[in-house]
Amino acid sequence: MSEQTPTDLQLEFQINGRNMKRRAQPHQRLLDFIRDDLALTGAKEGCGAGECGTCSVFVDGKLVKSCLMPVAKANGTKIETIEGLAGWGGDLTPVQKAFHKTGASQCGYCIPGMVMAATSALRENPKADIEEIKERLGGNICRCTGYTKIFEAVEMARDVLSGEANAAVLEADGAGKSYIGNNVRRLDAPSKVAGRLRYAGDMVMPGMLHMQVLRSPHAHALIKSIDTSEAENLPGVACVITADDVPGEDGFGVFVHDQPIMARGRVRYVGEAIAAVTADDMLTAVRAASLIKVEYEPIAAVFDSEEAMQNGAPVVHDYAPDNIVKHIPIRKGDVEQGFADADLVVEQSYDTQAVEHAYLEPEAGIAYVDHDDVVTVVSPSQNITHHRHMLAKIIDRPINKVRFIMSPVGGGFGGKEDMIYQGMLALSAMKTGAPVRLVYTREESIISTAKRHPARITYKMGLKQDGRITAVSFRMISDGGAYGLSTEGVMRKAAILACGPYNIPNVQIDTYGVYTNNTPSGAFRTFGAMQSQFATESHMDICAEKLGLDPFEFRRINMMQNGAVTHTQQQLGSVSIGRVLEAAEKASRWETGPVSMRGQERADLGGDDTRPPCTLGARFRKPGDDDRQEVA
Amino acid sequence: MMGRKMRGRGMAASWYGIARTATIDRAGAWAELDDGGTGKIVTGVTEIGEGILTLLAQVAAEEMGIKPEDITIGDNDTARSPEAAHAGATRQTYMIGNSVALACRDARAKLDKELAEHWDVEADSIEAFDGEIWSKGSNLKMSMEEAVDICKKRGVVPVGSGSFTAHGTGLDPVDGSGSPWQAYVFGTQVAEVEVDTVTGEVQVLGIWAAHDVGRAINPRGVEGQIEGGVVQGLGQALMEDYQLEDGHTKTHGFAKYILPTSLDIPEINTVIVEDPDPKSPLGAKGIGEPALVPTAPAIMNAIYDAVGVRITSLPATPEKVLAALQAKAAAGQLEAAE
Amino acid sequence: MLTCDQYHMPTSLADALVLWQDAPEGTQLVAGATDILPWAREGRAGDVHLPAMIDLSRVPELDGYTLDDGRIRLGANVVYQQFLTDEKLRALLPCMPYCSVWFADDQIREQATLAGNIVNASPAADGTPPMLALNGELEIARLENDDIARRNIAIDDFIKGPGTTDLKPGEIVTAVICDTLEGYGGSFQKVGQRRSLVISSVCAVACIKLDEATGKVADIRLALGGISPVPLRLTKTEQLLTGKRLTREMIVEAARQPADLVASRTRREYRRVVVRGFVEAAIEDALADCGAAVPDAETRETADV
Repeated sequence: MSEQTPTDLQLEFQINGRNMKRRAQPHQRLLDFIRDDLALTGAKEGCGAGECGTCSVFVDGKLVKSCLMPVAKANGTKIETIEGLAGWGGDLTPVQKAFHKTGASQCGYCIPGMVMAATSALRENPKADIEEIKERLGGNICRCTGYTKIFEAVEMARDVLSGEANAAVLEADGAGKSYIGNNVRRLDAPSKVAGRLRYAGDMVMPGMLHMQVLRSPHAHALIKSIDTSEAENLPGVACVITADDVPGEDGFGVFVHDQPIMARGRVRYVGEAIAAVTADDMLTAVRAASLIKVEYEPIAAVFDSEEAMQNGAPVVHDYAPDNIVKHIPIRKGDVEQGFADADLVVEQSYDTQAVEHAYLEPEAGIAYVDHDDVVTVVSPSQNITHHRHMLAKIIDRPINKVRFIMSPVGGGFGGKEDMIYQGMLALSAMKTGAPVRLVYTREESIISTAKRHPARITYKMGLKQDGRITAVSFRMISDGGAYGLSTEGVMRKAAILACGPYNIPNVQIDTYGVYTNNTPSGAFRTFGAMQSQFATESHMDICAEKLGLDPFEFRRINMMQNGAVTHTQQQLGSVSIGRVLEAAEKASRWETGPVSMRGQERADLGGDDTRPPCTLGARFRKPGDDDRQEVA
Repeated sequence: MMGRKMRGRGMAASWYGIARTATIDRAGAWAELDDGGTGKIVTGVTEIGEGILTLLAQVAAEEMGIKPEDITIGDNDTARSPEAAHAGATRQTYMIGNSVALACRDARAKLDKELAEHWDVEADSIEAFDGEIWSKGSNLKMSMEEAVDICKKRGVVPVGSGSFTAHGTGLDPVDGSGSPWQAYVFGTQVAEVEVDTVTGEVQVLGIWAAHDVGRAINPRGVEGQIEGGVVQGLGQALMEDYQLEDGHTKTHGFAKYILPTSLDIPEINTVIVEDPDPKSPLGAKGIGEPALVPTAPAIMNAIYDAVGVRITSLPATPEKVLAALQAKAAAGQLEAAE
Repeated sequence: MLTCDQYHMPTSLADALVLWQDAPEGTQLVAGATDILPWAREGRAGDVHLPAMIDLSRVPELDGYTLDDGRIRLGANVVYQQFLTDEKLRALLPCMPYCSVWFADDQIREQATLAGNIVNASPAADGTPPMLALNGELEIARLENDDIARRNIAIDDFIKGPGTTDLKPGEIVTAVICDTLEGYGGSFQKVGQRRSLVISSVCAVACIKLDEATGKVADIRLALGGISPVPLRLTKTEQLLTGKRLTREMIVEAARQPADLVASRTRREYRRVVVRGFVEAAIEDALADCGAAVPDAETRETADV
């Protein structure tokens, strides 16, 4: 850091119609300034790199990403934020009402930015068609909605604003005869479309301190020493915590409590927390974290799950010398006999990748110790019940002296089931006696939190010539990464659902979750079932082709019926697979035919229920220009 | 011979279990018919975006006989609300929805008893909807506001509680036998794609998604879950890839970790199929997770239909698809030469 | 996180040059600032502290554009969005709307400048190949004895390699100067991993003009990006096609050459294949853009499949 004193900026500007004169620090971004200095938290920080659009605001009428704008650029401008669209207490704008009406907000974290982008699109071109609308929303990522209801909202608002539709379309539907089966508008939508809802990272408390975490640069290393003295002596630092500060039984996880809240003598993945600094402000906390001296001794690491299962592989956790977190076997019938009875045996392997949850709200939380000495953590946790149990043990307090409050979750998808940072917050609040806030950067969220388990699947299916499946052998090896988290459950669900909704007399299923020194894998929407059924459903088509069967027909031949017995020998009641097959076939106007490369001959393509391929440039395409430029 | 842009279709089916796996799942809720004919419910849950609060308000409104906007929902707080456990496992509608229904029925039973005595009718003759309450087969009718007032003046606060249980059993450690869930859902999706044989890029133009949800409490909310699931499935199918090299990520931010944008998504056509669950008061099952299970295989099957290459390793990036096309062409030439 | 001690916003070129000349070591010039903020983050440069930043966006000499004898001087503050919204620019630079619409997104285009994109000298920069095709040069200013001195340099000579340029201490790029090609057809091809906020794996630009009387190629401009340490103008291919009446075979043949220019260290085979298809597509789309018939468009096939 330079010795020079930063020179504050003097800013004059108008925000949401109000003239203001403020000082700002020279490095601040417009986003920091409006959130931290002006307490307008409708604009969010989703990525800090201009890649998501949660921070969109108008500056002199042009929509910009405020995380990419140094605040000095806003001097002398007119700024409009989501809070200014309707104004406090004011009626929502037609765009906001349309988002409310169509159900365009889910977690809501992207929604202030998305409403701003929609508003900008219609200001720039009030007659924008759907393709132009999509282009103009192209800088705003939504992880929940699949965009579809957002498009519907923007078109609805456009039509209301232009007078083509009556404003009544924005209002609630009637009660009808029942509220069940009724498209009641989302109760939380007004607070989301107006930018009023406060997520954990938007919350402030008097006297609040800020936390920065120091993370491991090594995948596998012993920690020889941690020297925090220089960091602790930096003016503005309230405390530094390490594993030594944990008073109780340190360990969290959903099935096995193998993960300390900060690395204890050993790091097992890059990005693992080592220590946490709490200071008066973020800059001080960041600077102090860089002053902590950690002495590491790198040790052999393993990055491939199959290698990790070999004898002699580096051991990630001493309690599991074979590196296996969990093996789930399922057996039914006699699989060898099933293959012997088959006319055809088809084998294939499949791979799925690690996937990031990419909720737009990075991890955040505030912890404090209340007047009754209750350690309280406010965070977007997907499982406060279990987190309370674990934290009580970790900090050695009675369970009723630990309190978890679930703040609005800006997208979870399983990624916020793990108690990855709440322990550090609680410890720091206990140590400082002050409220402590931690907000992850996007990069921190990506590097340190769980992913969808990557899987390698070996599939073998035996079939009769008439299409009946006689046997399946299924083996899946999943990289669980450095800690257990939800791996056991993911392996169980993957195994139970592996062979699909089909009657298969003989099955042999094995799923293995394996420790490596990779980023941990954990819970992610479908909990392993996506991986295993990706293999099954790909395999079904390969087999259908070999048998010359239509893919629907092949599945019907094998599908479970009412009262079927599953692969785990559970007897089911009503089974709706036949109904959903028929519904999808009918809705898509599916042209029956054997699996093959038959796209060129199909007559069911390109219906009104598909979109045209995206060729950028909708806004300057000439009217009636059919031969639009294929900009690849 | 292939043109530059080739289209095709594929399908995939799926199944899924509702609520926690291979265990007994449970959730609790409290309810109160409150002053002004409003309702209060407290559960250990808040919104993760799926629409649970609106759904609970609908369930409570229906059970209490008031309007959804007149429901107040207490915050998810381990010190202030009963256990509802985690927001995951496609268990919110099934577990929390049913526990709220039971709690509201309990509260309503107390109100109905007092009102029945007040009106001198049988309690089971009393019905309520949208803020009004009446005795069937009579002209006795009043607002819920009056009814709550009468109930309280008779000395009773109409409160209730509910606990809902889903009976799963553990798996046998040797053969895996067991009954992991009491409710199952099924789904099927069809994908239509266009493959650019110059770049290997795949655009998904249409998805038809038919899913059994038991009973759709809020059909628009169900559609939203399916649309979101499809797009996450599409992301995993075509572009998302968390990459590590010796444990170090190569995809630090959203410039490198690629997510679908508004220009990458198909027209999504949802079909809601209702096969009600017989083991729960509401009949609803769930949709959060199952929606994305069939998307990726349906897209891979469609790519095969379009250009005859089978991608067995996700994601099907332009580079991977183009390499497969070249391998196929090379194999074809070899065959022709032999 | 990016921090700095001073953030300057000079309001004249002279002031900017003085600040820049006297700036402490490590000071950075910024225009749109859309690259520097994401750069100073974990996974890239990490936490960066600068003694000062000099923001050029309020320097009026860098605003707007002027025309001079078939050339246009685009001030260094011209942002990408202008190539979409300014009717006159769209007509003068027919490939730029297609390039611009692929660049980042509407919001970043409001901030990001063409000049800044070129100066960053990324192999994947979208703006550089079109400027190469348009014989682009940079106008650069510096102080000499308190006077503003200028020099012009061809973009081809300016970009030395990934992230390295001919910019010397004290110099500020003040404009991009290039040919105007009114009446040409333009096109831009790009592929990445998705359709918005795309970082290109390969991009290709074409501008074409046919002789009205003969239908032969009067002028053609072709350039590629993303395939080598610096973007490339396809001079040989241009020469091959100039003066010819284009046939399907001729375009296919012309597209065959540039694949050998692919010099990227990664994804080389992929880029080689795409380049071939892209050169074809760029020519054909540019023909379509100027209203000319595309030879045998119906029978167009991929070369390799």
